[in-house]
Amino acid sequence: MEGSAQVPANDEEELFDTGSLPCVSERAAAEEAAPTNGQVLLKMVNIHKWFGRVHALRGVNFTVHRGEVVGLCGDNGAGKSTLIKVASGYHTADEGQIFFEGREVKLRSPKDARALGIETVYQEQALCPHLSIARNIFMGREPTTLLGLIDQRTMNKESMEALASMGLRLRSPHALVSALSGGQRQGVAIARAIHFKAKLVILDEPTIALSVKEVREVLDFVRHLRDQGVAVVFITHTLHHVFSVADRIVVLAHGCNLVDVRTKDTDVDELSDIIARGTLGDAVPTTQHAR
Amino acid sequence: MQRRLGQGLWLSFISTPLVFIITFLIFWAFSPGHRFVDPRNLAAIAKLTPDLGVVALGIGVLMICGEFDLSIASVLPLCSFLFAQLLIAGVDPFAALALMVPVGASLGLLNGVLVTRTGLPSFIITLSMLLFWRGVLYVVSGLMPISILPYVPTNSDFAHFLTGQVGSVPAQLLWFLGIAVVLGIVLHLGRFGNWIYATGSNPDAARAMGIDTHLVKIVCYMIVGALCAFAGIMQATRLGSFTASQGIGFELKAVAAVVVGGVSLRGGVGNMLGIALGVFIIQIIDNGLILLQVPVFGVNTFIGLAVILFVIINNLANRQFAEQTT
Repeated sequence: MEGSAQVPANDEEELFDTGSLPCVSERAAAEEAAPTNGQVLLKMVNIHKWFGRVHALRGVNFTVHRGEVVGLCGDNGAGKSTLIKVASGYHTADEGQIFFEGREVKLRSPKDARALGIETVYQEQALCPHLSIARNIFMGREPTTLLGLIDQRTMNKESMEALASMGLRLRSPHALVSALSGGQRQGVAIARAIHFKAKLVILDEPTIALSVKEVREVLDFVRHLRDQGVAVVFITHTLHHVFSVADRIVVLAHGCNLVDVRTKDTDVDELSDIIARGTLGDAVPTTQHAR
Repeated sequence: MQRRLGQGLWLSFISTPLVFIITFLIFWAFSPGHRFVDPRNLAAIAKLTPDLGVVALGIGVLMICGEFDLSIASVLPLCSFLFAQLLIAGVDPFAALALMVPVGASLGLLNGVLVTRTGLPSFIITLSMLLFWRGVLYVVSGLMPISILPYVPTNSDFAHFLTGQVGSVPAQLLWFLGIAVVLGIVLHLGRFGNWIYATGSNPDAARAMGIDTHLVKIVCYMIVGALCAFAGIMQATRLGSFTASQGIGFELKAVAAVVVGGVSLRGGVGNMLGIALGVFIIQIIDNGLILLQVPVFGVNTFIGLAVILFVIINNLANRQFAEQTT
């Protein structure tokens, strides 16, 4: 238990301590790292991350193409949460390289990531319940008039436009977020990301704790993002949710790449079997590489 | 504001003014000989309310960003004491005022830094500072009042500046309204105001969007400290003296006033009109009950009941607002 006590509280899922074993499925990683055409948006190569003695990411490779929806799956402790925190600048990688739009970048803070066009939507901490939709969307980036006061008119107009582009029709930009449903809140958080010209939106468990109807709404938002050419990384436990929208699914296990496969080349049963076992076994030698 | 919002928004903004008007009318109607609306009584209310009121405006802003400050009840008389000392040392009263407001702000800065650095509840930190500064004040002042009349006679420019009259309106009331308007603009129309609400509503979200929530809180504490200094000096000028009993009870009365004005104890909720009227509601009840010949020592009983009643009304109004706007 000593080892796990050093783990930061917000990384509840990285509780295994396996020392520094290399990743088993180097193969999948090698396939992904192969040169692709100019459409690569985000490319993370050989990412390592330690928390004390815990080696949470052990050389993960992760690529997202422009306008692509990637499902990021894996059991608890697989490292998916750590990986996206590295991609959003929340954690810095101890080893490895990150390329964005072909150039190597250093992500030292969420600000760095946001400046590049990487927006992360966390489940719980995204919105302020007592503030209006418009004030939430522009929080921290409020437009001002010549007098230095908030330009409420611009905020209202652009908020409604951003929501409409997501297919989300809310009655008023003045409505308080506390009055919205879980699905609508996700919509507002995503609208904020695209309004500020995100090229990549990372959704951390966007469908957790939502009703069936709300899940459908969120999946529609993801499709709207893709239609606008925005790439999406969709982290989830629920394969059924991600299967209907993702172009590609990446599975992590014990801090390594396990599977990287086009959605059309596999099915839910096959993948959930792999995730549950945490190893490839002999199940998918044919389907583990995409593109 | 806009018709499509229905009555919800209207109700949430109007509930405190409505309570204010009703309270006013009740005391008008029932005070013996309608003494409540006697111009002399109204003038007394207008002069007395800003002492607590100016501080409460700052407390309202601070509570919207999610923090408390109980130390006001000691910071205020401490600033008043230092002001008297400056006058004795021969400093011009205007210069002394200009010096003391930043000193008050630095006492607020200390609170803010302690709260944000330690991560302890502001209730505990500022309770400690309340006791700390009161002890310091009692030791250095020896509990003795200090007359400042030799330095600022009642007909001096400085006394007119802080406690005189414009027409028949007491200067204190104008100061109070002026500060309320400025803070109202900051809170409702400025970017910083949005950060204050965001910090109080969900600090994690605010931080994730790049808002420095610690800085927001520290600035709010500094506003409270500066207003304490101003109110302490204004009160001393009205009384013609520093007294060690200045500010006693303000720490809780300010919270009561602000809560009656519709501010949530959990942060993120409230508006400047409500805060300003909340102070007056508390003061009117205090004054009106005495006119109704309620024993002085029983007045707090009614204020306690009134606070509970008004908070229930505010909560109902806010819920209406939330439901009507979706």
